[in-house]
Amino acid sequence: MGMAVAAPDLEPVPPFSPSRRYRAWLRGNILPYALISPSVLVIAGILAFPLGMLVWLSLQHYGLRELIHHAGDWVGLDNYRAILVDPLFHQVIVRSLLFTFACVALTVVLSTLIALLLLRVRSAVRVLVMSSLVFVWATPVIVSVDIWQWMFDYEFGVINYLLTQLHLGNFIHHNWFDNPVQGLGVLVVVVVWGAIPFVTITVFAGLLQVPNDVMDAAKVDGASAWRTFWFVTAPLLKPIFLIVTCLSTIWDFGVFNQIYVMLNQRPSSDYFTIAIYSYRESFGVTQYGLGAAIAVLMVLVLVFVTFFYVRETVKVAEIA
Amino acid sequence: MIAPGTAQGIRSGRARGATEVNLRVNVRQHVTQALYDIIGVAVAVVMLFPIYWMVATAFKPGRDILTLVPKWFPAPFTLQNFQDAIARPFFLDDVKNSLIVVGVMLVLALAISFLAAVATARFGFKGRTAFLVMIIGVQMVPLNALIIPLYLMLDSVGQTDALPGVIAVYLAVVLPFMVWTLRGFVANIPAELEESAMIDGCTRVGAFFRITFPLVGPGLVATAIFGFIQAWNEYIVAYVLLSSPDNQTLTVWLASFTTNHGPEWGPLMAAATLTGLPVVAFFLILQRYLAGGLTAGAVKG
Amino acid sequence: MKFTRTWLSVVTVAVAVIATACGGSTGTTTNPADQTGTLTVWLMNGSAPQSVIDSVNADFNAKYPKVTVKIEIQQWGDIGTKLDTAFGGSNPPDVIELGNTLVAKYAAADALENISGKKSSFDNSNTWLQSLTDSCTVNSKLYCVPYYAGSRAIIYRKDFFTAANVQVPTSMDDLLTVGQKLMTAHSSDPNFSALYFPGKYWYAALPFVWDFGGNIATQSGDKWQGSLNADSSQQGLVKLQNLVNALSRADKTGDEAKQDAAFAQGHIAMIIANGWEVGVITDPKAGNPALKDKLGAFPIPSHNSGQTAPVFLGGSDLAVAARSKHIDLANAWVGMLTGQKHMSDMATVGGVIPNTTSLLGLGTGLNQVFFGAAKNSRFVPNSKNWASVENANVLPDMLVKIFTKQQTIPDATGSASSRITSLLNGGG
Repeated sequence: MGMAVAAPDLEPVPPFSPSRRYRAWLRGNILPYALISPSVLVIAGILAFPLGMLVWLSLQHYGLRELIHHAGDWVGLDNYRAILVDPLFHQVIVRSLLFTFACVALTVVLSTLIALLLLRVRSAVRVLVMSSLVFVWATPVIVSVDIWQWMFDYEFGVINYLLTQLHLGNFIHHNWFDNPVQGLGVLVVVVVWGAIPFVTITVFAGLLQVPNDVMDAAKVDGASAWRTFWFVTAPLLKPIFLIVTCLSTIWDFGVFNQIYVMLNQRPSSDYFTIAIYSYRESFGVTQYGLGAAIAVLMVLVLVFVTFFYVRETVKVAEIA
Repeated sequence: MIAPGTAQGIRSGRARGATEVNLRVNVRQHVTQALYDIIGVAVAVVMLFPIYWMVATAFKPGRDILTLVPKWFPAPFTLQNFQDAIARPFFLDDVKNSLIVVGVMLVLALAISFLAAVATARFGFKGRTAFLVMIIGVQMVPLNALIIPLYLMLDSVGQTDALPGVIAVYLAVVLPFMVWTLRGFVANIPAELEESAMIDGCTRVGAFFRITFPLVGPGLVATAIFGFIQAWNEYIVAYVLLSSPDNQTLTVWLASFTTNHGPEWGPLMAAATLTGLPVVAFFLILQRYLAGGLTAGAVKG
Repeated sequence: MKFTRTWLSVVTVAVAVIATACGGSTGTTTNPADQTGTLTVWLMNGSAPQSVIDSVNADFNAKYPKVTVKIEIQQWGDIGTKLDTAFGGSNPPDVIELGNTLVAKYAAADALENISGKKSSFDNSNTWLQSLTDSCTVNSKLYCVPYYAGSRAIIYRKDFFTAANVQVPTSMDDLLTVGQKLMTAHSSDPNFSALYFPGKYWYAALPFVWDFGGNIATQSGDKWQGSLNADSSQQGLVKLQNLVNALSRADKTGDEAKQDAAFAQGHIAMIIANGWEVGVITDPKAGNPALKDKLGAFPIPSHNSGQTAPVFLGGSDLAVAARSKHIDLANAWVGMLTGQKHMSDMATVGGVIPNTTSLLGLGTGLNQVFFGAAKNSRFVPNSKNWASVENANVLPDMLVKIFTKQQTIPDATGSASSRITSLLNGGG
């Protein structure tokens, strides 16, 4: 599932000094555990088995026959060994990381710019932009990718037609996916387009919470708009940027539908990102063990890449 | 649409200030304002174009859809595609299924995530950090990789081709970020408010329900919208788990417009428009709560 | 599988959900009228007209009044994923329509019921189309019943041919000459293709390989050897590349999904297509019904003048799941749909090629050409690993590399062949 959501929770949570009675009440209370137990039960109850089986599958030779007989051959770390020496895997990892970086950077920068713009436009324009974001967000990914695929189509694509009409070159019968670098560029556009609504709305919500007097004070001091943003607004929005960057990295690293559908469900290996590669090994060539091992490695890479963000995010979420 | 009141306040306040300075600055401000507005419109146009293309196509007669020279407007105009889409078998069944799945999932998810949000926003307890890390970490696992394990698990309890199985999976997938979101909203409501109510003689629970709960309402709405979009648009789990056409959800129904010789563009676009409508409607109905909901910090004031 | 089993039992106990009981059980009585239960049938979107299905079910229920038949139409996108999980589960559908290139994969994994002993109980089993029967046969055992077929020929614009004063070509070289004349006649149209050939269209590339005696792979013992790099295969691909370079403005990296819509736009003289695509092109809603009288069809010519090239026989088979709880009922239902009566309907109402040579005469109009092409048809290597070759895109990737001139034919076929050898022998 593509998108998720961050809390517009603003640092700094005002340091309050709870009364002694309140503090005493907090200490040694089982209430918080009772409150999180339903969540833990649901997540663990439904996902613990699949996650455990995923790891277990990654240690088996597990093909279609094994799936049907529910019996795999234990091969230890062989699947991991096979993947780690596969040059394709190295390409896929590098490609996924670059792709993710491009998507996340563009998403966060563009969304922040749009959010800042929303503060300055007249209200009618704001309603228009907000509506456009909501419509984009509301459109199912499988549909929006179909539309994009068609818009970038080789002969019926409106993009080729438009670019040619605008005299930006001859794009009649231009194939965007001929050259993988260009094709991945198109995919970045599609992913960023779909990611902008959530990030923009979240950042905008954060911007609205920046107290007016802080902004005004900066203005009186004669700070330029850029300096105001960089030295006043951005630090206040740090928690929002952290969670947005963290979640965007997680989603974009796992991007699947956009690539899979844009390339007619048969992407060539030039377009493999790690999620596609894992799915292809699993359901394409029915090597579920290998596919599971790739998925496990994918999570490990993601943990490594997002370690800093997750640590900071959770730290920010600490209560005083 | 979301038209947050606070933002309007900021803007009109600034505009009022502007009328008091001299004319030259005023003209320059007008030009700057116009520039911002134009950029804003341009952003909306770029974002909306694919959606426009979908809706416009839905109203075009079949022959005007795949053309070498694109037709920008649906003229001639037809409702045929919508008729075809609605007449497609199991439309109403699948609308009903989608509503059930998303509705039940949302009610459960809101209740469960709210409890956890209160726990993590209001209490320091051992394991809190571990819980938060789990909430983020769980989202790192690609759902596609869990298809086989999920299927086998639900198969063993007879819940394949059954809505409860899909609801359970969606619940587990949507819950982590709903907890996280709500945690932020609850955290932004000052605990002092509850505390003072307690001093006034309320019990802890009473204080919570009288003070915090009403304030977190908008947060619940915002979170509900996020969860709604997630679950409403999910495809692969629903496709793999649900086999009977009368048991499927709308996204699976949408896939029936793509045959082995490519998509039927007109009916597909009409069907996609219909599928997106409930989400937009949900947004519209709840937007007045959302104005505050997306700006939780405002209550901190 | 200890891990799973332990876990499953834990989960089963923990998640005390009310499991839906599966349908009743098949009685051991021989009287069909007393048999009960629910028969679940998976058919693919667009395979059989609803009227044929209804008629089969009516006949079935006349014989088995107490059995409920549940037809579930499945969508094409990600069908492999869905089949894998369904066969892995405890309650797969009883009857499954499988694309003919998928049967070997599921049969070899023991997912399908071996029906070798019942072959003679099916109508026309002696005259089933050979290529379809081949697709159902794995290790000399029969795992499915041929359902229907599709074979390709060339659909062309008669009016364009008349205007350019050319005749239906009788050899591959003739095809090139005719095409070049058409290109000249339409030289003012930048969108015109005499033969529209999208780069990934491997089904349409195979006839060229086969016609020169080439093949995708050959089998000796239980080992496969990729043979697209053989001289004969390369000869065919050279011929095809010349045609594509000279006659096609289709997307060299695209697939054939949009070729009918493209053809309906009127800038194309010929496409290699299935018989039913005539209906898509002339569809009153999405196509161009005005073309109805302007379309003709002829078989893909051989390089030997006057002969036709062998074509790929696509199609579907009907299999019974090995885990089905109603194997006899399932076979009975399959027998009815694939029997003489309903196959005739499939041919006349559905316009698809029926499963038996004895009914090929039912093709009328343009369909005659396509029905006829089925007689000279071939199939892909019948290995359980063929699906892996398809899913790894080996053939489309090779063709794209050739047509876009990223690789020479010897290089592209060389690497494709070694990949096919490895995949067919169970490697990655």
